Amino acid sequence: MSEIDRQLSWFQRAKPIALSSGQELLEFVKRTELVELVSVLSLFLVVIFGFLHWLFEVATYLCLLLFLLRPKTIRNPLFWLALALSATVVIVHDWHEADNHKYLLLYWLWILFFCHFLAKPEQQRRVLLFNARFFLCFIFLAAAAQKLSSPTYRSGEMFEYYLYVDSRFTAFGKLIGIDPSVPDAAQKRIALFRSSFLKLADNELEVPGTDRARVAGLVLTWWDASLQLLIGLLLLFRRRATDQFAHILLLLFIFSTYLPAPISGFGWILAIMGLTLAKENFPRIAAVYMVSFVAIILYQLPWRDWVLAT
Amino acid sequence: MKITPRNYDWRSAIIVVVPIVALLVAARQVYLSRYHDLTTWKGGGMGMFAGADFSLNRYAKLFITDSNGQRQPLTELTREQTDLVKRALNYPVRRNFLLVAKAIASRDWIPKGERRPVVLIDSKGKKVGIADESYHSMAPFGLRPGEDNWKWDLQIEYWKLSYNPVTRRAHSLRAEIFVFKPEELQSHERN
Repeated sequence: MSEIDRQLSWFQRAKPIALSSGQELLEFVKRTELVELVSVLSLFLVVIFGFLHWLFEVATYLCLLLFLLRPKTIRNPLFWLALALSATVVIVHDWHEADNHKYLLLYWLWILFFCHFLAKPEQQRRVLLFNARFFLCFIFLAAAAQKLSSPTYRSGEMFEYYLYVDSRFTAFGKLIGIDPSVPDAAQKRIALFRSSFLKLADNELEVPGTDRARVAGLVLTWWDASLQLLIGLLLLFRRRATDQFAHILLLLFIFSTYLPAPISGFGWILAIMGLTLAKENFPRIAAVYMVSFVAIILYQLPWRDWVLAT
Repeated sequence: MKITPRNYDWRSAIIVVVPIVALLVAARQVYLSRYHDLTTWKGGGMGMFAGADFSLNRYAKLFITDSNGQRQPLTELTREQTDLVKRALNYPVRRNFLLVAKAIASRDWIPKGERRPVVLIDSKGKKVGIADESYHSMAPFGLRPGEDNWKWDLQIEYWKLSYNPVTRRAHSLRAEIFVFKPEELQSHERN
C-alpha cells in the first residue's frame, strides 16, 4: 500500500468517527440547558484559570467539592455569591495589579450570581444573554478604542517591540521566520538601559531588528484591531446575519489569538460568552465554541519549548 | 433581549448592574491611565495589548544618597523588593514607590566589590569612554536592627522606554524621580 493510499485509508476511517463525534457534540449542545451549561463551564473556568490568591482558591475548591458531591448546588445563588465575593476581595485588594481579564472574570461571577438569584428560567436566560452580548461588545470596542487612540499601537511599535523583548513571543516569532537570535540580541541591547553603571549618548540605542519583524508587527497590529472592532460592532446590531458573522470572527479570534498569547483564561471566558449567545440560534457554532475550550487547554502544551528546541 | 415598559420591574435592573459597574471601572482606568500613568494592561479598562506601555517598557533605578549628596545604586534587590518595584511600575505613583523604599530601608546595605566607573557607550552599545562619576554597587545584607535609624535619602528614578520602528532605535526617558527622606522611612521599623 502506497503512502497516499495509507493516508487515504486513515482519513476514510477517521472521517465517520469525526462526523459522529461532531453530531454527538451538536446533540449535546442542543439538549443541554443554557444556564446549566454556562454554569458548569464557568466553574471550570474558575478552577483552571481563576485568581491565584488563597481566599479565592479556598472558595473555588469548596465550591468544586460541593458540585462534585451534589451537582444541584451549582444552581444555588450562594454558590456563585461565595465565588463572586472572594473574587471581589482579591480585586479590591490588588486592583492595579489585576489584569483586565481578571476583572472580566469577576464581572462574570456576579452575573452568574444574579442569574441564579432570579427564580424564573426565562429571567435567568435574559441575564445571561444580555450580559454576554454587552460584555463582548464592551471588551472588543473598549480594546479597539484604546488601541486606535494609542500612537504606540497604531505605529506598529508595540507588536514589533514585543516580538523582540517579550520572551513569550520568541517561539511564535520563530514560526513566522524571526530567528530567536534576533530577539536575543535585542533583549541584550535593551538591557543596557537598566544599568546604573552605563551612560548612553542621548539615552538611545539601536535595536538590531529585522524587516520581517517590522512587517509582522504591522500585520498583527491591524489584524488584531480590525478583528476586535468588527466583532464589537457586528454584535451591536443584534441581527441574525451580523451575529453569525460576529461569531465566526470571534471563533477566529479565539483560535488564533490564544496560541501565541498566553492568557488562556481570557480566551475561555470569551468562548463562554460566545457560546451563551450562539447556543439557541446557532447550535453548530455553539458546538465549535465547545471545541475551542479543548483547543485553549491544548494551547497550554509546552509548544513554545518544542518550537525553540527544533 | 429587549426591556420594554411592560416587562420592566426591579429584576430588569439586576440585568444592568454589572455592566454599569464595568463601565465605571473602565472610565476610572482610562482616567488613571491618562493622568497617572497606570498601565493600560491593568485596572479593568480592557486595554491589554493597546500600547507599548507595560513592564517591558518601564523600569526603575534606585539609589541611596548620603548626607554629602553621593549616590550609590542599589543593584541587587531581594525578591520581595523586586516584586514591589514591579508592582509600583504598573501604577507609578508615590505611595507605591514608598512601599519599595520602606522595604529597602528595612535592610542593611553594603558596598559590594570595588568602586566602579560609569562607562560611556554609543548607540550600538559599544564602549566609547569613561565618565567622571563612579559608584559602589550596593547589595542587601540582612535585616536592619530596629534600633538603628535609617539615615539616607532614597531616590527612585522611574524610566520609560519607547521604540521607534522607523529608525529602529529605543529611547529611554526619565519620567519622574521620587525622593524619600529618612523620616518617611522610619515608620517601617515601628510597624
